[in-house]
Amino acid sequence: MNHYQLLIKADDKQVVLERILQVARYRGFLIEGIKARVNTGTNIGTIELMVRSERPISLLVDQINKLIDIKDVKVDKNTTQ
Amino acid sequence: MYSVGWVKKKMTSEKKQTGGSLLFDVLQQHGVEHVFGYPGGAIMPIYDALTDSDIQHFLCRHEQGAAFSAVGYARAAGKVGVCFATSGPGATNLITGLADALADSIPIVAITGQVATSVMGSDAFQEIDIFGLSLACTKHSFQVTDINDLEKVLHQAFAIALEGRQGPVLVDIPKDIQIAHVVSQGSVVSTLKNKVNLPPANVGSAIAMLCHAKQPILYVGGGVGMANAVDELRDFIDITHIPSVSTLKGLGAISPDNENYLGMLGMHGTKAANLAVQESDLLVVVGARFDDRVTGKLTEFAPNAKVIHFDIDTAEINKRRAADSAILGDLKTNLPALAIPLEIKGWQQKCQQMKADFAWDYNHPGSTIFAPAVLKELSDKMPLNSCVTTDVGQHQMWAAQHMSFDHPSNFLTSAGMGTMGFGLPAAIGAQVSRPTDCIITVSGDGSIMMNVQELSTIKRFQLPVKIVLIDNAKLGMVRQWQDLFFEGRLSETDLSDNPDFVMLANAFDIKAKQISSKAEVSGAIEEMLAHNGPYLLQVKIDAADNVWPLVPPNTANDKMMEST
Ligand SMILES: Cc1ncc(C[n+]2csc(CCOP(=O)(O)OP(=O)(O)O)c2C)c(N)n1
Ligand SMILES: [Mg+2]
Repeated sequence: MNHYQLLIKADDKQVVLERILQVARYRGFLIEGIKARVNTGTNIGTIELMVRSERPISLLVDQINKLIDIKDVKVDKNTTQ
Repeated sequence: MYSVGWVKKKMTSEKKQTGGSLLFDVLQQHGVEHVFGYPGGAIMPIYDALTDSDIQHFLCRHEQGAAFSAVGYARAAGKVGVCFATSGPGATNLITGLADALADSIPIVAITGQVATSVMGSDAFQEIDIFGLSLACTKHSFQVTDINDLEKVLHQAFAIALEGRQGPVLVDIPKDIQIAHVVSQGSVVSTLKNKVNLPPANVGSAIAMLCHAKQPILYVGGGVGMANAVDELRDFIDITHIPSVSTLKGLGAISPDNENYLGMLGMHGTKAANLAVQESDLLVVVGARFDDRVTGKLTEFAPNAKVIHFDIDTAEINKRRAADSAILGDLKTNLPALAIPLEIKGWQQKCQQMKADFAWDYNHPGSTIFAPAVLKELSDKMPLNSCVTTDVGQHQMWAAQHMSFDHPSNFLTSAGMGTMGFGLPAAIGAQVSRPTDCIITVSGDGSIMMNVQELSTIKRFQLPVKIVLIDNAKLGMVRQWQDLFFEGRLSETDLSDNPDFVMLANAFDIKAKQISSKAEVSGAIEEMLAHNGPYLLQVKIDAADNVWPLVPPNTANDKMMEST
């Protein structure tokens, strides 16, 4: 089982968290933790997502990137094993 | 970008614009002439505004029918299809159509009414969280809670449906927003940014792989039609003379007359196509995604082949099969870059030999009708530019195997989702978008009942759709699997108590005929095609007929069954 941490930047839309969680679950990534906050100045939300899965993280990154409201997805290499 | 014509119009007119009338203005700006839908309480202001619009509305008899008609319209015409539904049950009835459009990447925009913002979240009458429900079955969705966002959102909906990999978009509009007056006259230009900055395609390594390949195969999917790249694909084939195969949704992209074309691959693919793919040393994959119905046992699919993968969707690269070279972006611009003459005479000859050796055999003893032969004859006799839709089951696979299509927009089938009930409403949408073309739906006695209410839509609009009903009085495909893989234990697949289909069609003023022997086939096909209006031809076949070849589940594609 691999553990990953994703850093996601997204437009501040109420539904964006739901979309990310739905994609993560559907694509086979178990959510171990989530931290989310919004910069009210820029209206950009920052989401840190801790997940684990047997599947390669590129699969989740590509699918989250397809969500329209997502600006950027980065994998924090430190947590990848 | 988008025209802002309506803003000028509004400023010179005294009448204040409501959300409902704004909707129709934006639809018109996007070239929408026809919509499919069904009214109800929470969408009444929009239906009220409809009466002042030039857009023609087709009342379907179930929201699922409206969604599939929008899909058929989009696929047959290469435009965005639009459907309307009210809140609650109206909206949930759209979901199967949205899922179907998502699986097959079809651009549709669904507009749903919603209860007023003041009561949202209170379990109001006919309130359902369709926005929440839409997350898993749309490419994107919106809920408009401020009238001043409506216009921008509608423009974005069209842009998102069409950009990159196409797909369905839902816009949920609460009733008070439909009634509210538009106040803002700010910029209406869509702010949608093109997020996917694809790197320039690296074709160098792909060209080297193509030059070195001794046994390459071109594996073509539905992406070619969606990218409007049929011409570029055919140029590529003319220059390379590469042997080719197609997925179910790709049918029509490759000219059926091409000597190196081996037909459909996968579970019910031709023997030649599947054997050639298994033997290949290079797969050139164009707008396809290694679907499980295509690959059979994935680890044994084309085991010796390298992969060059052309696609618009980054997420499809390496999803099920690793690519040795990925060429991301528009097929129209990328395909020509790889079109080089190949030295593969021996391989071409081998493929052509397999194609000849394993050609379809239409000899069938006895007087009962052989569905593959009927569909082959129908295909040969139907006029140029006919568009065929299907339902799901054995008849669908027989249509895919035995009919020929010269363009993907002429064969509309629910490929990714495999949705029974697709055929009839999709044919209605196709007929509305192409009023002078011959539209035929090949359906089954199980599937037709799933949206049979749409016969009413055919009647109301006098649509000359031809319905070929392949009747085995069974859920034939499921029955075939029960016979082959469940020791013949038949469970809930008998439909021998179906209604009298001729009488049923007649009840909707549709001419109909039943045939049950080979001798009647030619005359019946000719009579149907010559008939001016809608027509239902019920073709009784032997309930025990199976679709061959068949690759059993979790099996390599070269281990197909060819008979029992
Ligand atoms: C909506 C839906 N429900 C169930 C299925 C499963 N299914 C696939 S084929 C089939 C039988 C279809 O029967 P019919 O339309 O008569 O076609 P036939 O196979 O007999 O040609 C069924 C039930 C499906 N594909 N879609
Ligand atoms: Mg049947």
